[in-house]
Amino acid sequence: MRQPSVSNVPSTAVEKIVAFLDQRVGLKEIQAKMLNEPIPGGSRWAYVFGSILLFLFIMQAITGVLLMFYYVPTADHAYASTQYIIHEVDYGWFLLGYHFWGSSAMAVCVVAHMSQVFLWGAYKPPRELLWIVGLALFGIVIGFGFTGYLLPWDQRAYWATTVGVEILDKTPILGDFMARFLKGGPTPGQLTLSRFFVIHVMILPAALMALAGLHLYLFRVAAPAGPFRGTPEEIKAKTDYFFPRQVWKDIVGMAVVFAAICGLAFWEPVVLLEEATPDPGEYHPEPEWYFLFYFQLLRLKMFSGEFGQFMGAVALPVIFMGLLVALPFFDRDPERNIFKRPVALISWIAMMAIMAIFTVSAVINREFLD
Amino acid sequence: MVQPKLKSKVRCTDRDIGEVTRVILDPISHDISHLVVSLDGDGARQVSMEHVRAVSESTVELKIPSSEIAALPPFNRGDYVTTHEVEISHLEDNLDVVPGEVLVPLPDLEKDIKRRTFFMNFTHAIGFLIGLPMVYPVLRYLMKPMYAPFDNGWLKVGNVGKIKQDDIGVQFQYKKTVKEAYMPEAEIEKSVWILKATPSVLDQIYQGKDQEFRDSSGKLIWTNKKDVPYVAFSGKCPHLGCAYKWRQHKTLGEVFLCPCHLSIYDAAGKVLDGPAPRPLDALPIKVAANGDVEIIDMEFKAGVKSQIRIM
Repeated sequence: MRQPSVSNVPSTAVEKIVAFLDQRVGLKEIQAKMLNEPIPGGSRWAYVFGSILLFLFIMQAITGVLLMFYYVPTADHAYASTQYIIHEVDYGWFLLGYHFWGSSAMAVCVVAHMSQVFLWGAYKPPRELLWIVGLALFGIVIGFGFTGYLLPWDQRAYWATTVGVEILDKTPILGDFMARFLKGGPTPGQLTLSRFFVIHVMILPAALMALAGLHLYLFRVAAPAGPFRGTPEEIKAKTDYFFPRQVWKDIVGMAVVFAAICGLAFWEPVVLLEEATPDPGEYHPEPEWYFLFYFQLLRLKMFSGEFGQFMGAVALPVIFMGLLVALPFFDRDPERNIFKRPVALISWIAMMAIMAIFTVSAVINREFLD
Repeated sequence: MVQPKLKSKVRCTDRDIGEVTRVILDPISHDISHLVVSLDGDGARQVSMEHVRAVSESTVELKIPSSEIAALPPFNRGDYVTTHEVEISHLEDNLDVVPGEVLVPLPDLEKDIKRRTFFMNFTHAIGFLIGLPMVYPVLRYLMKPMYAPFDNGWLKVGNVGKIKQDDIGVQFQYKKTVKEAYMPEAEIEKSVWILKATPSVLDQIYQGKDQEFRDSSGKLIWTNKKDVPYVAFSGKCPHLGCAYKWRQHKTLGEVFLCPCHLSIYDAAGKVLDGPAPRPLDALPIKVAANGDVEIIDMEFKAGVKSQIRIM
């Protein structure tokens, strides 16, 4: 059994309980290890996104479990039970709205977190595995968004899934199998809903917890990268521990994100369209806003025809992710200062510009469809 | 240089002043940066490694006189945390300050085991053999609903009396009863586009040949005669499976337009613009004398040049 790390004799009841637990669990040592991590160059607002993502995930898990108290994943009840949550259950609209906007917040924070790591050159050796596990987590977040979108079983849900799975179907050789495997048949239906539900509430959460744990572990092994400029003496002089300054910044960031999600849930509540059916009526299918740029991209003439579609639907995302995975291996230059890495800086700006331009043009395009 | 050991005597240029009680690590380099020297009866001081001249098994020799050590500020324990209370990985990797190795005896049963590798491999092999028989059943279990036989039944979708003009796409919405796996029978709404085609458009669609529809075994199910003016297009866009509409286009006139990725087709289903890889899919259609229309609801794989039926 471990010795208590603090030797003063406990006097009050609370202190005795804490001492009892500490002796058996090693609480104080765990707490000290968690909080006393040196952050080279000191805490920064730019570092808050990882913690915010962890917070967002916990909140998604909590609201998700609460939604499952009423939600029924069957083609004949999914829509009705979701409407019941929105219109009948006290604060159901809020919890559903929180879960819905929380997923958007997650997409935003994932991009912010990845951008920060990219701009700071923090993916470079010895943090290659940390970066790659992060990319896997990025894929999981996308998977969450995609599978969760089907569950309300309204027209928006149905069509986003129909088109999304068709994109997967364009994979050479395996595409047809993967699409049918995911749909549980040739077209979306009950079995698709069951599969997406299991993936969304069991498989992805388990995968995310495992990989996020690995991500944090690798982060702790590699230690934070710190700022991209400054002499070792300057960095050492500004170094502080994770607690309290960084924890303070993190919690402020979480509070801001929390308030934003609550605000959106309140002012932009989730409104379902008609129940899902293979005839969309007057509805113009569209994916969730953070996929809009890609949706717009697939409208380009260069991605037309069978080969063009393969390029747009399969080759482009695979090459993009492949480049990100390979990044720390071909970018061997130890220089981390983004202002001395013109290719990296220009690529990042170009990527953000493409996403912004295509998202905006998708929104503008809406007007011309009616 | 040998690392200074705990309990080593510390000797200044003039005399012995005490012993090493703690060492302080540099959090960046992970090397010993200071020694904490307990002065005999006069508190403790932290002494930079720069002042160390030589280290032996039991002594540390300093370059400076004892008066300089005594003049250093007293050591303040509160300015430090122990290595157990901080998360700096590999911090103690190159540290060897304890007097020799700290050992724990092996249990008797673990001594002289020859075949550790064999047992390790054996464990993996049994684990593999446990997993192996699960693979095929699990795969089959999950694949059960993936491939369903085609339904070639005729569905009544409406009456052509609804069509007022030639070469204009008219949407026929209909209800289809489906029975999926264990679910109760349910009605889903689908739609099909039917047009009354002029001979020139018909010729574009059929290119002078009757269109034959066959089931998976190659048996003929139905033939769309090339001179029957009514044509039914599957409501599913051959690009990525969205549902297209009949719309007025600024320059192309009245066309089939898919709002998803903006594929545009003319009345004959030919691709005019946008990403679609093939024309709209004509379905088997049967029009009775009283104008009632029946179709066979077929769906084809989206995004490929050739028509591949999936249901």
